[in-house]
Amino acid sequence: MSLWSSDSNRPPRVAIVGGGPGGLFTAWHLERLAATPLSLTIFEATSRLGGKVCTASFTAADVRYEAGAAELYDYSPVGHDPLKDLVRQVGLPMVSLGGSVVFVAGRPIANLDDIVEAYGEEARRELTSFDIRARSGITPAEFYGSGSDHVADAAAGGRFAAMLDGISCRKARRYVDVMIHSDLATEVGETNCGYGLQNYLMNDPAYMRLYCIAGGNEQLMHAITARLAAQVRLGTVVTEVAGGPEETLRLCLRAGDNLQVEEFDVVILALPIDAFKRVRFAGTTLADAMRRHVEHHDHPAHYLRVSVLLDRPVPSLPGDDAYLMLDAFGGTCLYVESARDPCGSHGVLGWLLGGAAAVEMAVLSDEALVAAVLGSLPAPLAACRDHVVESRVHRWTGAVSALPGGWVRRPADLRHRPSPVHRGLFVVGDYLYDSTLNGVFDSAEHVADWVTAESLGARLSARATPFIKPTEASH
Amino acid sequence: MIGRDIDEAGDDVVALAGLPADTSLRHIPLACGEHLLLLVVRCENESDGQLTTEAGLLTKTASDWVAAAPQPCGGLLPVVTVPLYGCHVAVTPGRAAVLGPPARLDGLAAAVIEFANREAELRQLERRCTDLLESLNDDAHHAFQFDTQSLGHRDMLAARFREAVAVRVQLALAAPTVHAAAVHPPTLASQLGERLRDRTRLVERHEFAIERAELAERFYEASGQRAADFGIARRQMGLEWAIVVLLVIQTVLLIIDILAGRAAT
Ligand SMILES: Cc1cc2nc3c(=O)[nH]c(=O)nc-3n(C[C@H](O)[C@H](O)[C@H](O)COP(=O)(O)OP(=O)(O)OC[C@H]3O[C@@H](n4cnc5c(N)ncnc54)[C@H](O)[C@@H]3O)c2cc1C
Repeated sequence: MSLWSSDSNRPPRVAIVGGGPGGLFTAWHLERLAATPLSLTIFEATSRLGGKVCTASFTAADVRYEAGAAELYDYSPVGHDPLKDLVRQVGLPMVSLGGSVVFVAGRPIANLDDIVEAYGEEARRELTSFDIRARSGITPAEFYGSGSDHVADAAAGGRFAAMLDGISCRKARRYVDVMIHSDLATEVGETNCGYGLQNYLMNDPAYMRLYCIAGGNEQLMHAITARLAAQVRLGTVVTEVAGGPEETLRLCLRAGDNLQVEEFDVVILALPIDAFKRVRFAGTTLADAMRRHVEHHDHPAHYLRVSVLLDRPVPSLPGDDAYLMLDAFGGTCLYVESARDPCGSHGVLGWLLGGAAAVEMAVLSDEALVAAVLGSLPAPLAACRDHVVESRVHRWTGAVSALPGGWVRRPADLRHRPSPVHRGLFVVGDYLYDSTLNGVFDSAEHVADWVTAESLGARLSARATPFIKPTEASH
Repeated sequence: MIGRDIDEAGDDVVALAGLPADTSLRHIPLACGEHLLLLVVRCENESDGQLTTEAGLLTKTASDWVAAAPQPCGGLLPVVTVPLYGCHVAVTPGRAAVLGPPARLDGLAAAVIEFANREAELRQLERRCTDLLESLNDDAHHAFQFDTQSLGHRDMLAARFREAVAVRVQLALAAPTVHAAAVHPPTLASQLGERLRDRTRLVERHEFAIERAELAERFYEASGQRAADFGIARRQMGLEWAIVVLLVIQTVLLIIDILAGRAAT
């Protein structure tokens, strides 16, 4: 009997495919929201949970660095921030991250005074008026609510490039480009207006702030897992999804050489969009629905992370910032990761390359990449080149999603249930929102709300049946 | 110039001897009656925004001078030093130093003065809150018991209530500046102001001060109420006694009247 049929005495069987943040957040929400017991199983292809939230360690010294997501977005200046609440609830210490220096042609630009000094009064005027346009494009409240159906994506349509063209001063435009690109996995000009503006406005503390978890972001994944009752099956790849009898869904699983088929009432695919291409969807209706879903959301974007261990702490950045932005590689973010662990005897620098540069550079050997990023070090950190002990490279080509120009988001329900016929099949993903952890958190909450509401509805109607039609119910 | 401000600088002129000749030492009166000695030192940077070696030495001299601020203001807060994009600022109550390229100095100095005003004002309000809470400790018994002996304290309790309200008003007036939104795009001065505000925990201190003033205000409001109740009760008692006396007189007169009537018949 499926979740949606009227009576059943056993708890609904829910499968979550993907043990990344999306899968874990979904399980967390479901276990907290479900009024009736659920039989929850998480299938993870690899041997670890956490997906792209990955805090790795160097071998030369037991020093951590972020190989994937490095920062969490703090929306609490504008409204309720459920992800931050969760971090607090599981008792993890947070460190706020700040940075406003953009190195353009070797020159640090940190504020309007620097702009005037470097590029003149006209550039300041241009930038200020761009800033006013940006703020009137998205208010803090719209920024906060973006992705939800009740907040119209006022500025979403159109290419961001058109808006940037309003800055005629070439140098001022370069400054904005670098600032935005340093956190973008695609090209500034190719993204849509809303997403481009969001990436610009995220530098304004009135819109949001940044923080990370002291000791590594992956701790959040461990803290959630430790609190879950769900069964976790590591090393289990979901290879096929098919409709089963009575609205159930069948999963084909591969664990090593072992192949299995299991039946579930609800299947939640918490996968990045590129992973859908490696799963077979059986049956024409399901296959068509999933093909349309992937086609609509498949806008691959790219990151490349290079992390370097130094034999001494990194000198503190001007303004005590935790990161700075460089114009190398089209705009890159350089994190002083050791700022997150201030007592350490070592230093860690981490570069996040995005967009076209990340693809082009991904083909280089690790050594060439490390040499290239070290070459981009600005003067205040140049001495770090002589203190490198170990380096690591993580290529994330096509692993994230971009929101292309002109792309308009579908309503949340449509985004999360790709096939109206397969009512038990849901998707959760950052690509359905803004490609961030906060986005995937909202996505997980949406699906968990929906599943619990429907399961409760099904249970209530199952209980109501005997009173309405006692004779039929007795058969 | 240091030479001109020699009176204010006093012994410190020796400590500041290594600073460039065009260093200025300004004596700034703050809104709350305190004053600030502000040392403004010009120093050049490398083109990449780094302090030169010479500037590094100047920074040390100036920061040491700030750290040696005399009592009563000195030592109230640790010295807050902010290295900021090629400039350097050190601040403690009563003293501050600003180092940077000439074009940046005025903006930085203005931000330091603005901050020093806010901080001194808040510090004064915190002191008033502490005084109120200390007197509250002594006055606590009035919250439960107010008798004839307490009558002598009434004016004092009323004065403390007025003080608590005045502190609350001052704190409310300071709120918009203490909680001012960060400026975007930032200017060097706004970045400095925000960092100083963060490092000296101005927002949290303001909130704690509000809580403490609220506590004092609630307590003195309650004791005022008790004093008023006591006054009303006392007046009522006097009235009741007057009625009793009148009734007694009336009864006596009535008895006399009755007795006189009997005697006549
Ligand atoms: C370099 C980099 C930097 C980033 N920086 C930030 C940042 O600073 N802030 C931020 O908010 N976000 C950041 N992100 C994005 C963030 O990491 C993602 O939003 C988040 O990881 C999405 O979670 P997810 O669970 O949807 O996907 P994933 O994290 O990709 O997890 C998916 C999981 O599913 C598993 N899986 C895949 N296929 C199958 C299958 N067939 N069967 C079973 N399991 C399967 C995978 O092994 C993986 O564990 C960054 C991403 C990258 C790559």
